[in-house]
Amino acid sequence: MARSFQVDIVTPEAVVWSGEAELVTARTTEGDIGVLADHQPTMAALSTGAVKVVHKDGVTIAGIHGGFLQIYRNQVTLLTDRAELTEGTVEDARRAAVELREAEVAESEPAV
Amino acid sequence: MASAEVRQIRRRIKSVESTMKITRAMELIATARIGKAQQRVAQAKPYTEKMNDVIRNIGAATGSLSHPLLEHREVNSVGVLVVTSDRGLAGGYNSSVIRLAEHAVATHEAAGRNVRLYTVGAKALGYFRYRKYQISHQWLAVTDTPTYADARSLANIVLDEYASGRVDAVEAYTTEYLSALTQLAEKWPVLPIEPPEAEDGTVDAPVGYEFEPSAEEILGRLLPRYLEGTMFGMLLEASASEHAARRRAMKAATENAEELTRLLTREANQARQAEITTEISEIVGGAEALSHG
Repeated sequence: MARSFQVDIVTPEAVVWSGEAELVTARTTEGDIGVLADHQPTMAALSTGAVKVVHKDGVTIAGIHGGFLQIYRNQVTLLTDRAELTEGTVEDARRAAVELREAEVAESEPAV
Repeated sequence: MASAEVRQIRRRIKSVESTMKITRAMELIATARIGKAQQRVAQAKPYTEKMNDVIRNIGAATGSLSHPLLEHREVNSVGVLVVTSDRGLAGGYNSSVIRLAEHAVATHEAAGRNVRLYTVGAKALGYFRYRKYQISHQWLAVTDTPTYADARSLANIVLDEYASGRVDAVEAYTTEYLSALTQLAEKWPVLPIEPPEAEDGTVDAPVGYEFEPSAEEILGRLLPRYLEGTMFGMLLEASASEHAARRRAMKAATENAEELTRLLTREANQARQAEITTEISEIVGGAEALSHG
């Protein structure tokens, strides 16, 4: 069994997911990133896309929009503007993420 | 048959009682909402804390933080943001923030600095507009239940004002939620951003930090988010404070109404008794007069 590490997916409104995981994949502005235990300390900007967290009880998938990923001492923190846990495949999460982005655009426009 | 005086007192009792019903209902509503607001404050904490972590780490990894939003420049023009509620009946909640802000505006103007005023909530807007202050930006319907979009809109305007050079610094006047019983109106520096201080013992420069894209670009994206996050925290605290202040004010009002009803009831009883006594003495006097006649 792969070694596990701490993962937190946090939005300004709440902690979306928190726990021990063995693998995390996410989409950054530079491309997809996969994280296993003992990853090099990294800071990356997240883009709109799916996050997959593999843990001992299965797989959690979320659509996220924007934010940052920090990897430091086996602690992976995803600080994201918007996140939504989704059922089903990574494709579904990606669609959810796009919806989050559209929701943000819709929210910010009438306010200006 | 009740006399005019007794009737009048009874009418007042009724009016006080119906007011009491309202204040008691408002107290209960506020109590329910404090809990929710507090919960939201607590839920927003992890994000701000992690954000502080990240900024500290960037600082440690790159040696020093440098970004226009972090630089102190000579202050010729100050942005003053006042956070109040839309509705009153919250005791001294609004007036203490407004008093603090107005004092600050006067101080800045006395020092020859230009002031641009931003208001959140109908109370600050009404107060400053009535006194013929120029208000650069205003937000309404925010503090009751602040959303992240509200915080973002605040942050965007303030950032825009700062970036365009219309203001060289921004300070916010808002209410800090210390406990259900204590809320404190205070000044909070918004811009330039004060990077979070490294906590003792946690400073250890991370080796070989990798940035994707560059550290500068990450910082550039991060700082506006940081501002939004702290603004959101500020609004949530202001909201919790508002509900707490309203609950306290309404509790006091309800208690006063209870006391008033008690006093008025006693007064009504006295008036009624006095009336009966007068009637009896009249009857007795009449009977006396008859028997002697």
